[in-house]
Amino acid sequence: MFETYIKDYNEAVFEIDKELALEVIEAALEEGVTPEQVVFNIIIPSIEEMMAEIVINADTNLAQHFMTAQIAAEITEKMLAKFETTPESIGRVIIGTSYGDLHSLGKRIVMGCLKSMMVDVVDLGVNIKAEDFIDAAVAQDAQVIAISSMMVHTATGEEGSLKVRSLLKERGLEDKIKLVVGGAPYRFDHELYNKVGADSWAADGVTAAKIIRELILEGKS
Amino acid sequence: MIKNHSLILHTEKQSIHLQIPEDLSVRLALDIEGLRVRAACGGIGTCGACTIKTVKGNFTSLTLAEWQKIPPEEREHGTRLACQLYLKSDAEVFLDNPAPSSNWKSFNLQHWPNYHYPNFDVKNSFYAVAVDLGTTHIRLSFWDRNTQQRIACRHGNNPQVALGEDVLTRLDVHRQREANLQSLTQIVRDAIIEGIRDILARDIGEIKSILAKVGVVNIVGNTAMLALLSGQDGSELYDPESWEHPIACLADDVFSWKQSWQMPNANITIQAPLAGFIGSDILADLIAINITQHSKPILLADFGTNTEIALWDGKQLWLTSVPGGPAFEGVGLQNGLSAEAGAIRAVNLINDSFVLETVDDQTAKGFCASGFVDAIALLRIQGELKLSGRFLNPLPEGFLLDKSNAYTAIKPGDIDAFQRAKASTAAAMQQLLVLANISTHNLSELWICGAFGQHLNVHNAQTSGLIPTMDCSRIKLFGNAALSGCEKMILAPNAKKNTDELRQRIHVVNLSHYPEYDDYFINHLRLQPFIRDE
Repeated sequence: MFETYIKDYNEAVFEIDKELALEVIEAALEEGVTPEQVVFNIIIPSIEEMMAEIVINADTNLAQHFMTAQIAAEITEKMLAKFETTPESIGRVIIGTSYGDLHSLGKRIVMGCLKSMMVDVVDLGVNIKAEDFIDAAVAQDAQVIAISSMMVHTATGEEGSLKVRSLLKERGLEDKIKLVVGGAPYRFDHELYNKVGADSWAADGVTAAKIIRELILEGKS
Repeated sequence: MIKNHSLILHTEKQSIHLQIPEDLSVRLALDIEGLRVRAACGGIGTCGACTIKTVKGNFTSLTLAEWQKIPPEEREHGTRLACQLYLKSDAEVFLDNPAPSSNWKSFNLQHWPNYHYPNFDVKNSFYAVAVDLGTTHIRLSFWDRNTQQRIACRHGNNPQVALGEDVLTRLDVHRQREANLQSLTQIVRDAIIEGIRDILARDIGEIKSILAKVGVVNIVGNTAMLALLSGQDGSELYDPESWEHPIACLADDVFSWKQSWQMPNANITIQAPLAGFIGSDILADLIAINITQHSKPILLADFGTNTEIALWDGKQLWLTSVPGGPAFEGVGLQNGLSAEAGAIRAVNLINDSFVLETVDDQTAKGFCASGFVDAIALLRIQGELKLSGRFLNPLPEGFLLDKSNAYTAIKPGDIDAFQRAKASTAAAMQQLLVLANISTHNLSELWICGAFGQHLNVHNAQTSGLIPTMDCSRIKLFGNAALSGCEKMILAPNAKKNTDELRQRIHVVNLSHYPEYDDYFINHLRLQPFIRDE
């Protein structure tokens, strides 16, 4: 039953027609689909479908990605407010851009996806010092630190992920807190995450959210 | 109304087609084109080097200089001096011995502002040079300050392009090896003096003695280029702490620099950039249009690899910059070109068909930025391209404006690059308008500076939302504004004081401090007009 909704919803979102996308969701709700199902069975699969298209078709539109993610995040927020019981968070992540990096858009998309996967997100903002990532993770009892870098020198710089890794080591936190990275430089060099001391990386918002979710669940088991 | 005529120029190796206004000499027209005649006197007919043979058409009569310089038998066979020759009809000429090819071309000085300031006492070192140092191009002009006359202008490629297309790549190159810093500094210094020498050789006919009389070299440009020119490593640009403050670009080798340029009396000034990614080129733009003399709000954008934007609210200037991306330079699109022969520079829709205008009327080889802006607007109007940037009927080969020419194809990736470039620019404009609490209706003027703006169809740029919707008569295009402002700095008696006062009125905006910028960016990705009403 969800296939038709996903198709109609996707078509509306691809055309960046927010009103039509909302109409599809309203129709689904009227026909008995729960807000929880809307998020997990329509919105998330539709984002996944779009991501799949981006991977397959090199010519796909990044602008499209931004616009659809914005609509998806907005609708997700609306659905979360309608959940029967307050959704139980599965864990917490501290997110920010690396020191010297002021590009916030990629981070924002990851945050939208994380929220729809029931992960608590604490956003430190842009241009974050390594110490601040660690301090926030400890204070907020977070399981993951996620760092976005859009430029090569901020991804590989000594004040970025490399320093977060060395601080985690120094303070004996490596078992408790995992480090995930993302952003353009990692898409060009798939081994770069390793070189900057991260536990994992992701190429897009949905994958990032999935990986972070897995790391949280691994830590709990 | 000045008429244009077609000229076909033949050499032994090629034939080119040009459109030349009646009031432009053949020599200057060819200087602008880049296929140059030999010359050594600045076009006054005294050197006799610029001989060219007329083949067909009507021309102005022989001048006294031509009677003196061209032997009778050659005159009878149609030989003329290109600097004395003007077209009176469509024509053909043959150039037997072109000047060696050069990186440097002249500007078309029509519509270029002239300045007349009270003469100030400049005795010996009365020559002056204005330089606009850009990421991809260098523009310069040479002045006699006593007579307040511009002797000539040149523009050429910044040879650093070979070491990296954009600013950060070039900085990264030198970070990897210290030796690269010297080479990046030296390459650009060599290029500037080469441009100056080109003017002296062709437009005065003396080099060394004139260089000794140069008293001022004033250089504006983007921050990274000026840092590299001064011999700094540009490391400040990597530090966010310094992004909102002026960056001093002081060379510590000025003496040897002047020696190497053979300009012992020159005061070489690098105008300090306003902030990390806001160069002094936009400062020169603002001076060029006398922005602070206006009482009503004015928006100014200098499009390029790094697009700088200024908003004057009547009291202060709000400035910021965004990555313009390669879409505004033509390159970076699958069929992207700079404004070279065969580049589609304009597209028109006539009887539902796309009609392409190319540089030099050559077969289309791809799009330069102005042609691409037209194409997007017309595809939107025709309904072939949707608001989202998706094609109505996507085809694997892309959308071909000319079905028989694969170089006219536009692919989804090209649309995407354009959407992101225009969204970052429009969102930055919106952010400044919001901060200054000004609506687009209240803007008295919009200035579009930089080479990108020169051939822009503003109506089409508005259709896709690249620039705000407003009456086209209030939109001004000024391609060489930065060089023009740089010239004012070397000529106006109170230039330093005025420049310092202008700097005091500038408020640099770091867009990363405004979370709403991301929302503006995403909203402006849509291919629709840009209006800020509230």
